[in-house]
Amino acid sequence: MSEQSKEVTQADLLAYVDGRLPPADFDAVEAWLAANPARAAEVAHWQRQNEALHALFDPAGHEPVPARLEPAAIARGRAAGNSFRWTQVAAALVLVALGGAIGWAARDVVTPTEAASDILIDSAVTAHSLYVNENRHAVEVAAADREHLVNWLSSRVTQPINPPDLSADGFAFVGGRLLPPVEYGKTGPAAQLMYENAAGERVTVYITSALPDRAAAYEFTSRGPHEAFYWANDKITCTVVGELPDAEMQAVARKVYQQLTRRPDSSAGPMDYERGS
Amino acid sequence: MSGFLDEIEQSVPGLRRYARALTRNADRADDLVQDCIERALRKRGLFQPSGPLQAWLYRILLNLYRNSLRQTRRRGDHVSIDALVIEPAIPAPQPGRIALSEMSRAIDQLPDEQREALLLVVLEGMSYEEAAHILEIPAGTLMSRLSRARTALRQLTGNAEEPRLRTVK
Repeated sequence: MSEQSKEVTQADLLAYVDGRLPPADFDAVEAWLAANPARAAEVAHWQRQNEALHALFDPAGHEPVPARLEPAAIARGRAAGNSFRWTQVAAALVLVALGGAIGWAARDVVTPTEAASDILIDSAVTAHSLYVNENRHAVEVAAADREHLVNWLSSRVTQPINPPDLSADGFAFVGGRLLPPVEYGKTGPAAQLMYENAAGERVTVYITSALPDRAAAYEFTSRGPHEAFYWANDKITCTVVGELPDAEMQAVARKVYQQLTRRPDSSAGPMDYERGS
Repeated sequence: MSGFLDEIEQSVPGLRRYARALTRNADRADDLVQDCIERALRKRGLFQPSGPLQAWLYRILLNLYRNSLRQTRRRGDHVSIDALVIEPAIPAPQPGRIALSEMSRAIDQLPDEQREALLLVVLEGMSYEEAAHILEIPAGTLMSRLSRARTALRQLTGNAEEPRLRTVK
């Protein structure tokens, strides 16, 4: 699979969508998809399937856990010979449960859960559009003060923030700033890193600590004139925003992804899956 | 013991989510999770922690779920609570998105084995290795179930506007 010429299999395409593709195979799969639009449309649909499944069911994992599901309480009940079984009173609770279940089921239909990724992407795009038009105040701390910037942002975001090197794509690091947490409240503050090329085009990288589910996710999307590439792993969420043509945007986004997921230790995150690479 | 309990506790939100997605019924899902924890505590003496505890818990949950399905089918089907919900006007999905109500129906129509596999990988973020281990099937079987599930979901949600794959334009 590492050579360009080798055929991409169905398993590779599934792994691509499930975030299980070895990073070394990314380019080959994407090149193959570019040449096979019908399969590319299918793969895109699979990505939408993932988004829909998360939107439908992730909320159930964030609900407060009822006392009857606390392992310690269950263990105590067992030790005390307590044979109380919830199912024995289930019948009496059917009506209550029915009401609750309808409410719960209807909630998803009436107001589809706005995915956390959407909120983060919106924040990243808003911050991007606000600051890329600034000249003197584009960043809070300039690249010249890199060490200070890295220490400061890393400590506030509580994850190491090492600005990726995008010079190969003609983008120089301008600097960064700290931004408040999004309303969603599940991540801490965000770091925004800004890059600029010789033509004055700017790209920003918006990083927060991981969402509570720490799930791997990635998504290319547009917000008006902006292109955004979002991905998340068990450590951080990252949104790359710019107005570049698709191909350039992807190249830059991939560089950011590769550099930010490089781990000093061998613990593979969900997306930089190392097995088989 | 408390380490064991803590480890179970950490898995509870994921188990609830998975059970909810399988049963589509909050109460039944939590009953399954409660049974799962009770069984885990009971079997604890037999459990050699050769594999991760989390995978073991998912496997117990799945077995309980499958047993409950068999019983339900023997007794005759109950009306699913979802079927009682009168669906209000569904907001149009954003372009390129699958309407959630459509996906909700589509996932229900998948064969059990495909639904179990897909939800483990997509929703629970299990690696292929973990999912195959939990389902007690070879890796190749898992991949073919995932593949068939993907294809079926695409057909079942076929009304959705063909999304653009932004990465390959």
